[in-house]
Amino acid sequence: MRPYSINQIKYIKKNIMNINFSDEDLAFRDEVREWLSNDYPQHVREKTEKGITISKEDLIDFHKALSKKGWMGYNWPVEFGGTGWSASKLYIFNKELGLAGCPPILPFGVGMVGPVIYTFGNDEQKERFLPDILEFNTWWCQGYSEPGSGSDLASLKTKAVLRNDLDEDYYVVNGSKTWTTLAQNADWIFCLVRTDNSGIKQEGISFLLIDMKSPGIEVKPIITIDGDHEVNSVFFTDVKVPAKNLIGEEGKGWTYAKFLLAHERFGIAGVGASMRSLNRLKEIISKLDNDDLQRKANELEVALSAIEITELRLLSALENGGHPGAESSILKIKGTEMQQALSELFVEASGEYALMYPGPHGYENNDKPAGPDFAAEGLSAFLNMRKTSIYGGSNEIQKNILSKFVLGV
Amino acid sequence: MNLNYSDEQVMLREQIQKFCETEYDFYKREDIVKSNDDFDSNVWNLFAEQGWLSMPFSEQSGGLGFGPIELSILFEEFGKALVIEPYLSTVVLAGSLLDNSTFSSKNDLIEQICSGELHISLAYAEAGKGYDYLTPNTSIDKKGLLNGTKTLVLNGANSDKLIVACNRDNIFNLIILDTKTDGVSLNSFSTVDGQSCSEISFENVQLDETNIIAYGDEAISLIKDSLNLATLCVSAEAVGCMESCYLKTLQYTKDREQFGQPISSFQVLQHRMVDMFIESELAKSLLIKAMLEVNNRSDDMYKHVSALKSYIGTSGKLSAKEAVQLHGGMGVSEEMMIGHYLKKMISIDALFGNADYHLKQSGK
Repeated sequence: MRPYSINQIKYIKKNIMNINFSDEDLAFRDEVREWLSNDYPQHVREKTEKGITISKEDLIDFHKALSKKGWMGYNWPVEFGGTGWSASKLYIFNKELGLAGCPPILPFGVGMVGPVIYTFGNDEQKERFLPDILEFNTWWCQGYSEPGSGSDLASLKTKAVLRNDLDEDYYVVNGSKTWTTLAQNADWIFCLVRTDNSGIKQEGISFLLIDMKSPGIEVKPIITIDGDHEVNSVFFTDVKVPAKNLIGEEGKGWTYAKFLLAHERFGIAGVGASMRSLNRLKEIISKLDNDDLQRKANELEVALSAIEITELRLLSALENGGHPGAESSILKIKGTEMQQALSELFVEASGEYALMYPGPHGYENNDKPAGPDFAAEGLSAFLNMRKTSIYGGSNEIQKNILSKFVLGV
Repeated sequence: MNLNYSDEQVMLREQIQKFCETEYDFYKREDIVKSNDDFDSNVWNLFAEQGWLSMPFSEQSGGLGFGPIELSILFEEFGKALVIEPYLSTVVLAGSLLDNSTFSSKNDLIEQICSGELHISLAYAEAGKGYDYLTPNTSIDKKGLLNGTKTLVLNGANSDKLIVACNRDNIFNLIILDTKTDGVSLNSFSTVDGQSCSEISFENVQLDETNIIAYGDEAISLIKDSLNLATLCVSAEAVGCMESCYLKTLQYTKDREQFGQPISSFQVLQHRMVDMFIESELAKSLLIKAMLEVNNRSDDMYKHVSALKSYIGTSGKLSAKEAVQLHGGMGVSEEMMIGHYLKKMISIDALFGNADYHLKQSGK
């Protein structure tokens, strides 16, 4: 008998692989759906359904409603006031909110700085900052990129110098940050700053929390090609920041920054929101009797299913004690390509009416829209979505990451 | 939810890998392809001995009772090693159809398939019908005479028996007959990936009720399921090919030096290989989805198999073309394995509905 026999392989538990959620997970999904139909603020729903850009106040209402339900800390452990959800619950939560058309949960507080604070911060910082993140009393923004430091983030130059006056330790910050999303609304900014120039560039970086009301901070809008004001430049001129706002150790900021990037891997592909777009597109295209558009929609549906199962495979591996590797880079690349392709297909489905563009906020001033009602929204999304393959480590940087960690070259 | 393969499934994969590595390397495969035989009967007997030919059959029929998941594992590994033995035609297409049927002598036939003695081919396709396999022109007349021509019958030249999709009084029928019956003539040729197939003509072949496996809705559902399972299997084979294309290309670019350095150090090649890796992973995801849906016999199983088949048809060919390109001149050399993956991908795309056809099906 040669050694390839399979006669001896007897199944102890047959068909252990399955793609169905557990009863507990399904009950949770129902709970999320119930919240969406009863407690998701109605005025926010109406605006997102009409494709009208939502205001700062709408976003606050949405986050406060989540907070009231105890779901703001969706990705946090219980000990810091989070939900302690399993990976599958997190997945369901993200997908259902996306399918319902909710605005994305702002990642800067709960997704980014929060986990850094509860992992690397001291007790005083945890008490001071975490409850306000969970109650959405503080709007955070992210100070990473600089005019000269995009993909090469570690080359950043914004400088923080430690001083001592009248027994008070503080940093003096000078420099500028850019592409700062919704800085115009923010109360606080978490920044990577340079505290040392002597060694290799990654080792001289520190992680500093800065009150946006500090004297010497100036926020200037950057208008993007969709005509919207989403991102900003933030300038720091001799801004005085108490030394107690330093997270962890001086010079360890790069480590914390990498931790932060690895932390936000769920929902990165935006599967729920993309499914919502796809469903709408299919509905629109079904009325157009256009085989070319239909074919493109079919292609996107197949590709989106591939992305979804890839995310579920990652989740399944995690729940079985595996360690996520470079898979989150796959999800970033393919998820953002999908978002862009969907928005582009909306534009194509608009036909010649892709010519019309009333601006990022649609026809909210009761102008009579010419052409199909999805045209303006589609073009706005198409222009806006160009950012997705650029931010969060551009897709080319993601491919470098995969080259290094998967290809090993 | 659990999308991880079980320990037993991992063990099964390892057994198949071990076989492919030790007994079916590329040189051995080339010897078989260049020989006068369409496959190696020693290998086939080995398959029988090791239980592989019994895999998908129900325990009542004397099989091991494995399902679409295990078949997918087998075919993924077959894809990596470019195995050309006629497992698809005898075991999957004809065997699974018989196993699901109520045909009176099916247990005998399946026993002979499991022991490696019997080859059966399914004659499902006809010229001019495209991917429509349910409205054959081949038909049985009032006197019980079969007339018509079936095309692209996989492994037809080596089969002892044929299962033929035909029409009788405008009702779809599946019949079985000996290949050597009077009035059956074969014109056999080889396929792009080194297998064989035949055009088979039937001229006044006398049949009676004992030849009939099933008719009407039962026959339609038998052939649909058989073709669906076969489509899943060749898609799994393509997924295996895609992984090999990526891994072999990566190894080649690490070994190949130009301009004084391994060509894998060039970013333009790295990103193209990253794309091959990503496509391979996404294809695996669709395979997992499709095989689990087929395993559950869900209402959407045909749709998910179509989604998979359309995806591997496009991205599988893309991966194989990239693999050839990144191997440079070696990529187009017959003596190198890599170009043969491209030929395999062409043949897989052509079988049972190509990427365009299944893309349409997936959207229905």
